[in-house]
Amino acid sequence: MEKDKVMIVDDSKISCAMLAGSLKKTNFEVCATAKNAAEAVQFYAERKPAVVTMDMNLPDADGIECSRRIRAIDPDAKIVMISAMKDASLVAKGREAGISAFLQKPINTNDLIDTLMILCQSKVGKVAVLRESYAKPFARALQQGLFSLIGVHSEVEVELDERHFLDVSGIAVIIGLTGYPVGRAIVSMEAETMRKFSMIMMDKENIEDVTEEEASESVEESANIIVGRGVSNINDVFKDKEMRITPPGTICGSNIRIASPKLTTFCIVAKTRIGDISMNVGFAEGD
Amino acid sequence: MDAKLVNPFVDAFTTVMPQMGFPEPKRVKMGVQNTNAVGLGVSVIVGFTKQIRGNVVYNMSEDTAKFIASTMMMGMPVAEFDAMAQSAISEMSNMLTANAATNLTGMGFEVDISTPSLSIGKDFQVKISDGQYLTVEMELAGHMVELDIAVEQQ
Repeated sequence: MEKDKVMIVDDSKISCAMLAGSLKKTNFEVCATAKNAAEAVQFYAERKPAVVTMDMNLPDADGIECSRRIRAIDPDAKIVMISAMKDASLVAKGREAGISAFLQKPINTNDLIDTLMILCQSKVGKVAVLRESYAKPFARALQQGLFSLIGVHSEVEVELDERHFLDVSGIAVIIGLTGYPVGRAIVSMEAETMRKFSMIMMDKENIEDVTEEEASESVEESANIIVGRGVSNINDVFKDKEMRITPPGTICGSNIRIASPKLTTFCIVAKTRIGDISMNVGFAEGD
Repeated sequence: MDAKLVNPFVDAFTTVMPQMGFPEPKRVKMGVQNTNAVGLGVSVIVGFTKQIRGNVVYNMSEDTAKFIASTMMMGMPVAEFDAMAQSAISEMSNMLTANAATNLTGMGFEVDISTPSLSIGKDFQVKISDGQYLTVEMELAGHMVELDIAVEQQ
C-alpha cells in the first residue's frame, strides 16, 4: 500500500520529533519538516505532501497565513492545524484559510492518525483500488505477454507514478482505454530494445535484418496484444465495466515527453535480458 | 477513409473553439496521407472505439499551444508550456473529441473516447493508422492546428 506523505510545519524541534514519532508504524511518512512559513511553501511545492500539519506560531508568519500561502499554490491542499490554543475565532479564521481540521496540543496519537486518515482516505482508497484491480492485471498481462510473444522472462514491478509525465527516446505505443475507468496505456522502450524485440519476434538471425518499420510494427502489434489481454483480465473480474481498447497510436523519436495531467498513473517496468520494457497505465481522476 | 466520418471532427473544431473565446477557425487545407504524421511540437492523441474506431491527433507548434492555453485561461500570459498549459491543451482535446463523438452519435454511431495523451517534442513520427488517414489544417487566429484523423467503421 502507498504511504501517504505528511509535511510537518513547526518551529520546535521537539514538537516535530514527537509528531514524527506518532506517525511511525502507520500508513503515513514524514516527507518534509519546515521550521517556518517560507520553508513550508517551498517544501510543499517541491514534495507535494498528501497532508500538512501546521503549528500556529511560526517565526515569519502565523499558521493561518502560512496555510493561505500553501492553498494559493494548491487549492486542494489538506491542512491540519495543531495549536496550544483552540478557540472559535481561531477555528473560524482557519476554516476561511482552508484548514480542514484542528487539533490541540498535547496531541493524542489516535486522534492525529484518525484525522489524517479521514483527510487522506479518498486518495489512499482510490489509489489502492486502482493499483490492485486495474494496474496489477496489466502487469500480469505484460509479464505473460512478453513470455508468449518473445519467450523472455521478466521481473515486473508496479509503482505509483507521481511525476505525471513519461520521457521516451525510442518508441511509445499509446492505446486508449474506454469504459470505466477511462484512461490510456503506453508501452515504451528504447530503440535498441525495440530492434532486439523485433528480431526475436520475427525469428531473425541478426539485428541488421530488421527494418525500422518492422521493428516498430512488432512492438505496436505486441502492445496491442498485451494491453488487450490486460483489459480482458479486468473484464473477467468486473462484468459491468465494459472496458475496451482504442486502436494504437505510435510515436517514434527521441526526447519526447508524454504528459498525463489529471491521471492517476502507474509505471509497470518489466526488466528483461533485452532491456527494460515499460508500460505506463493511467486512469482519469475524479470520476 | 470515409469523408462523412471525418466531418464530425472538423465540425467539432469549428463549433467548440469559438465557445472558448476564439475567432471562428477556417479550414485551410485537407489531404489524404499515406506516411506518418510528424510532431510539430505539441501533439495530442485521442483514441476512440465502439462502432467507429480510430485516432485523432491535434498537432501544433509549442507557440500555438501556448497561445491556445493562454486564451483558454482568460488571457493569462503563458511563458512556459508548463503543467497548467498542458492541462488546458489536454482539456481542449478532450472537449473537441467528445463533441465529435456526440456528432457521430447523432449520425447513429456509438463511440467512446479515451483520455488524451499529450506528447511534447520535435520531429517525432506519429503513426495513427495502418492505412490512409486525413490531415486537415485549421487556421485559428493566425495560428495553425493540424488535425490528423484516422477513422474506420466497424
